[in-house]
Amino acid sequence: MAHPNVASRVVRGLTALSIGVALAVLVACSSGAPYPVSGGASGGSAASSDGSEEIVVTGSRVGSSTSSGRFSVRERQAAVAAVAPANAQPAGRLFQGSAPGGSKLLSQVQPGEEIWVIQTAAAEADSVDDSSPGSGTMLALVAPSRGAETTQVPLPLRHTDVHAVVTGYVSAVDVTQQFENPYDEKIEAVYLFPLPEKAAVNEFVMTIGERKIRGILREKEEAQRIYEDARAQGYRASLLVQHRPNIFEQKVANIEPGKRIDVNIRYFNTLAYEDGWYAFVFPTVVGPRYNPQGSSDPVAAFPRTEFREPATGTAVRYLRPSERSAHDIGISVELDAGVAIEEIAASHEVATRRDGESRAHVELASGNTMPNRDFVLRFRVAGDTIKSNLLTYTDARTQQGYFTLLVYPPAAPTASRRQSVEMVFVVDTSGSMAGEPIAQARAAINSALDKLERGDTFQIMNFSNEVRQFASRPLPATWDNIERARDYVRRLGGEGGTEMLSGIRAALGFPRDAERTRYVVFLTDGYIGNETEILGEVQRTIGDARIFSFGVGNAVNRYLLDELATEGRGTAAYLALDDSASAVMDYYFERISRPALTDVAIDWGAFAATDVYPARLPDLLAGRPVIVTGKFRGNVGDVRVHGRLGTEPVVFAIDAARDAQQPALSSLWARLRIEDLVRQQTRAGDVDGGYATAIRATALEYSLMSAYTSFVAVDASERTSGDRGTTVNQAVPVPQGVRYGTVVTDR
Amino acid sequence: MSRAARVIVAAFAALAVAMVVSLSAQPGAGRFATVDLYVASDMPVAAWQVELTETGGAMQIVGIERGDDATFRDPPFYDRVVLERAQTDRIVLASFSLSAADRLPRGRVRIARLHVRTTGTAQPDYEARLVAAGAADGSPIGARLTVETQPER
Repeated sequence: MAHPNVASRVVRGLTALSIGVALAVLVACSSGAPYPVSGGASGGSAASSDGSEEIVVTGSRVGSSTSSGRFSVRERQAAVAAVAPANAQPAGRLFQGSAPGGSKLLSQVQPGEEIWVIQTAAAEADSVDDSSPGSGTMLALVAPSRGAETTQVPLPLRHTDVHAVVTGYVSAVDVTQQFENPYDEKIEAVYLFPLPEKAAVNEFVMTIGERKIRGILREKEEAQRIYEDARAQGYRASLLVQHRPNIFEQKVANIEPGKRIDVNIRYFNTLAYEDGWYAFVFPTVVGPRYNPQGSSDPVAAFPRTEFREPATGTAVRYLRPSERSAHDIGISVELDAGVAIEEIAASHEVATRRDGESRAHVELASGNTMPNRDFVLRFRVAGDTIKSNLLTYTDARTQQGYFTLLVYPPAAPTASRRQSVEMVFVVDTSGSMAGEPIAQARAAINSALDKLERGDTFQIMNFSNEVRQFASRPLPATWDNIERARDYVRRLGGEGGTEMLSGIRAALGFPRDAERTRYVVFLTDGYIGNETEILGEVQRTIGDARIFSFGVGNAVNRYLLDELATEGRGTAAYLALDDSASAVMDYYFERISRPALTDVAIDWGAFAATDVYPARLPDLLAGRPVIVTGKFRGNVGDVRVHGRLGTEPVVFAIDAARDAQQPALSSLWARLRIEDLVRQQTRAGDVDGGYATAIRATALEYSLMSAYTSFVAVDASERTSGDRGTTVNQAVPVPQGVRYGTVVTDR
Repeated sequence: MSRAARVIVAAFAALAVAMVVSLSAQPGAGRFATVDLYVASDMPVAAWQVELTETGGAMQIVGIERGDDATFRDPPFYDRVVLERAQTDRIVLASFSLSAADRLPRGRVRIARLHVRTTGTAQPDYEARLVAAGAADGSPIGARLTVETQPER
């Protein structure tokens, strides 16, 4: 007896064959000739140099498609059946015709005429799994662009609504994605999107009309099985998968023409704090990643018109600069700082309404709703009041207590002269940095060069496809050397790949200077897909060096930059394209000029804290506290922090008066535990072993998204008609300031 | 019948047979259905907690929807009691409303709809237990729980 899987595969093959035969025969009989795709005469197919074929089939429902809001979808199988290799046209030429009559080049298409563009890969036709996303992808109707006019591309994601409630330094964020099918056939929508890297995602609700269906967290593979099963049987379903701690994929199956399905995601997060300012950050777009050869789990950057799925990993589709989709974003934030808010600043234009001293409502202004850069909202609170901030929560069922504590370093005097350092600037000069980002990076390095002192040494390295360096070894910070360095920096451009691993090895690999601490200043947008490999290398080679990472751009990979800084016992800073590079560098040098609190340890006393994260407390830099989260069973008592300021031992008590109960703390604790396990997993290089089991168990116990768990929701009350529908990948704009042509290769 | 027509008929027949066989032979294909939970009480119900298990086969809960009463705004919350790789879910559901007592439901009311996927050949056999039901002031109230299953649609 044949194995069921084998039998199933055979049956599927027979089914496909039957469909192909039936369609081909039907076409032959109805027209009396093979499907009219012969070269240049009517319709057309084009074999591109990579073996793919592009076919344009004339629509029978010619009309004002854009005004009606309906667009046509055709299955890939139909195209496969209709293509004859003998009809191949020169690569890249698209044809349109009024079947079975004449044809036009795409550039001749007039507004109002409808074209269906169906793309298939002849070389892969037999090997592509029809159940995989992209197997029947529609390439949306696009009117020919004229001049600099923007082309509206119909895609299913209409709107993302973000509503955040910030209490103290904890935010609860509801993200609602509104999917609507603008085509005339059923679709599956697929959208790759970012969330903050430390987001504890613990709720998932699918809304169909007035009905809300709560999703269930399951092991990733199990959730995918359920989703695919529901999709294949015509049930509406949605699936949320985590590809990176800050990259997620939303799939929504069986959206009928004209119908809408919303998906709501809820997460908790803690806000970053620096020198009196809290920062709430919401990323809106995944930047185009570079994946070195051999990457095991890449995140590819594809043009919108690329329907094939990558062999491994996943892919983000990007709109061309002349294209827009209807997708916009709305953001509103309710601030309840608990103490007086002195100032509010935002990356976007916002409308702010104050509601007392400590409360405010902030909303993204209309006209600023394009999701192509991070939304950053900062608010400054009254000076000393944040020094003691303990939040607790006790789970009523288990009686387990959770806490989070902001540990703020004592004020340290500015040293009259800082210790000499070995400053290694490592700048990303890959294609994604071309233009404004590399200009910002150059400005930052130039500003930093101004601040080098006698006794310092420095080196400049830049990497794209390979690593280059300013000098063969770090040079003394003399006037001559700095001038030569400026000349080197002036010539830095952005081109090629992002071989960051080589940059890391170069920066950390050369012999240490016994006289000076090495400070590695990393300037990058972080657009790489091999984060695990990079972070593993840093863990192995960091030694006593420090890494200060600077995210350059408006939508950078904050997960990588934060983790680089964490592993390198430094800090991450973000340099947006309209920020003052010199101000950011001034601040950085001011910080390293003041002695950090090192060898930090906390005596919990009667508080009986356990499972505290971060497991290893970092150095406490001036103005930059650390958030410590853990479990406790005792009573709040005399919590003391021990450390060393320069050579002097320091002990200070924390005013641990307990604040209001914060139910999000158990989720935040679990999220940090997962983060810590992932770090240990990276260090051990153990992908499927005990760490994976521990991460999965923690995620399931606390109902949290992770690399091993996914949310799935199915509406089993009604089956939609027809089959599984065509997969439409939501294309997104490239981040603001990034040049499309340097990061996405159009076919 | 012309030769072309015969070919068409034969192709469609092969297609139909293959599709039927294909659907039934899909590995891991499950059946989707809904399970409705009803609570009957003479008192207005402000909160409830239910434990549900299935003993006949393999059930997975794939979605939780609120019932008919709009004062319970959100879908019920859940706690998967069995977290390990279990064939059958055992789940605790709970919901509450902050509405005033005169707006809360009384009598027999559907409190939740569960969307489930079952696998295997056995018919599902659901067991539900009302862990608690409460009034607007938090006091426990008497109530009766019933389960109704909807066939696959």
